Amino acid sequence: MSTNLRRHWMLQGIASIGECGLFFVAVLGAVPKSLRYWRELARQIWFVGAMSLVIVMTCGLFVGMVLALQLYYTLSIFGGTAALGTVVALSLFRELGPVVTALLVAGRAGTAVTAEIGLMRATDQLDAMSMMAVDPLAYVASPRFLAGLVAMPLLACVFNAMGIFGGHLVGVSWLGLDNGTFWGNMTSTVDLHKDVLDGLYKSVVFGGVVSLIAVFQGYTAPPTSEGVAYSTTRTVVFSSIVILAVDFVMTAFMT
Amino acid sequence: MNPRPSYAIGTGLFILLGFAALAYLATQTTSVANIHRGNSYLIKARFQNIGQLKERAPVKIAGVRIGDVQSIALEPQRMDALVVMSIDKRYNDIPDDSSAAIFTSGLLGDQYVGIEPGGSPTFLKNGDEMVLTQSAMSIENLIGKFLVNGGPKSSGTDAAPASATPPASGKP
Amino acid sequence: MTVASDHQPVPGDALVQVRGLRTQIGAKAIFDGLDLDVPRGSVTAIMGPSGTGKTTLLKHMTGQLRPDAGSVRVDGEDVARLSRRALFGLRERIGFLFQNSALLTDFNVFENVAFPLRQHANLPEELLRDIVLTKLQAVGLRGAAALMPSELSGGMARRVALARAIVFDPMLILYDEPFVGLDPIALNQVLRLIRTLNKTLGITSILVAHELAAIRRVADRVYLIANGRLVAQGAPDELEHQDSPWTRQFFGGEADGPVPFHYPAPDYATELGFAGARR
Repeated sequence: MSTNLRRHWMLQGIASIGECGLFFVAVLGAVPKSLRYWRELARQIWFVGAMSLVIVMTCGLFVGMVLALQLYYTLSIFGGTAALGTVVALSLFRELGPVVTALLVAGRAGTAVTAEIGLMRATDQLDAMSMMAVDPLAYVASPRFLAGLVAMPLLACVFNAMGIFGGHLVGVSWLGLDNGTFWGNMTSTVDLHKDVLDGLYKSVVFGGVVSLIAVFQGYTAPPTSEGVAYSTTRTVVFSSIVILAVDFVMTAFMT
Repeated sequence: MNPRPSYAIGTGLFILLGFAALAYLATQTTSVANIHRGNSYLIKARFQNIGQLKERAPVKIAGVRIGDVQSIALEPQRMDALVVMSIDKRYNDIPDDSSAAIFTSGLLGDQYVGIEPGGSPTFLKNGDEMVLTQSAMSIENLIGKFLVNGGPKSSGTDAAPASATPPASGKP
Repeated sequence: MTVASDHQPVPGDALVQVRGLRTQIGAKAIFDGLDLDVPRGSVTAIMGPSGTGKTTLLKHMTGQLRPDAGSVRVDGEDVARLSRRALFGLRERIGFLFQNSALLTDFNVFENVAFPLRQHANLPEELLRDIVLTKLQAVGLRGAAALMPSELSGGMARRVALARAIVFDPMLILYDEPFVGLDPIALNQVLRLIRTLNKTLGITSILVAHELAAIRRVADRVYLIANGRLVAQGAPDELEHQDSPWTRQFFGGEADGPVPFHYPAPDYATELGFAGARR
């Protein structure tokens, strides 16, 4: 590739997307081998999932509460406050649960993964592994990728449950909506496949996207403190953009 | 063998919590909660027009949910809609001369099937069909009638649609 | 030990054999036809000015880098042509000591040393523990088994890394700058370990270093590399008294010589703006 072409920022962007794609294939190829390191996988699920629980639950609660407040106000204009439970649940399951959870995980776990792998690269730990005949793709990259894939939908479920709880708290306990109406309207409208599961499919894809970007940025981070810091920032920026873009595409296909 | 059991425990707890949340969402917030196929029986009803009625819409007596709409199909010969409803076994004493009507909950709410109990001593059984039905009220039709009848001037004649719709009775 | 630079050892007794090695990284030629042999059971030092690619040479030996031309044979096998599986098999027989130790920061000292064993040998926990403790005892850090890498000093970290490198009883250990940043006590400890491992276990050792005094105490043989070629070789004492511009500059401590003091630059006067006056 000529240096003239490489200098062009647009081509560079395309090239880095290509690199990320090739890296994705390499990580997928290393998945079967990485299943031997199931303990490392468990540790990463613990790190990405369990360690994100507090922030995800807190945010889920507040998002549910604020949704209920806002929607109650809007619905009361049309005299449709009975639909509050339905609207809160649908907004959460179909859109806010998967997306907000993915953004939170990108900020909390994605950056940590990028920084960790970047520092492992900078301190020769990845080379050391490969010198000990352990493939760092299988031992470091794949478990983190799989952990994102597994943890994200579970976190989204927790987020949704907390959101419903928050919505119920505001709608029923505070605004005085009838408890039966809240639940009854919700249960009659929300569909397991079209609403709950479609949201989870989104979440699985987001989990893959966020962890792939985080691992890729860490893996290719320049081995300097500045390089790692820059890559960490890029993880958040790219993850957020890609999450919202993919969300749009998936929503368009699903509805 | 495992050098760090705390990770394994933490991971396990997290996965269990995640699936518990999923189970909660699936059973408590969706219509799955209302499908008790093992503990329900089916009754049929034909309607001229079902309006916006959808599958899994609630079926109510006196505003209390007793089951839901299982399927909606067009009957080709008679050109009317055949609605199959699944009713909870607990409510097995619905008189067989009861009538079914399609109502709207609230102004923007979904439509549901309301059953007005009759007085017959025999009850509806699995597979029975309800004979007395009343179609969904179409707001367009109402407005149309209102305009044809001359609006506010002929306020005395507006009893026609009103008599056909007792929406308040079915409202939860 | 001979001093003659055209000395070619019998191929059979060389564990590492480099022939006609050419490597280019970016626009810069690192090696330009390098030949060298490392005899089995020896301690060989590779020296040279900074940036001559000594670490790159080690990477060729472990197959982390592929040469553009020429061959690197380790134990008779051409490293660049090995399949991935065979390469990993070879690496299990090579210990590598990284410049900054490269301990895995997630694990404590014991687990760091146990790491290669856990990955490649399905040993009973009891036996694994015995092996790891033996290796830690050999580097004098059995008592530090429970510490985390962040709690170790530089010298201790290097000794742990050494214990990890020898856990599979390798045939060859590559030391990348093993003496950098060590205090005199730690330096002596590492020197003694290199010597002991070589003497007692017969492990061939290759070390890349600058510290002449340390190398004199441990190496059998020294190769001096500059400009991508081998410019001098021999026992440390002999090399010091060799009369070539390279050895004079390298061992005699002259600031200018074949390795210029000035980085290539445009003419000084021109750059300062005296060009017109001169012309």
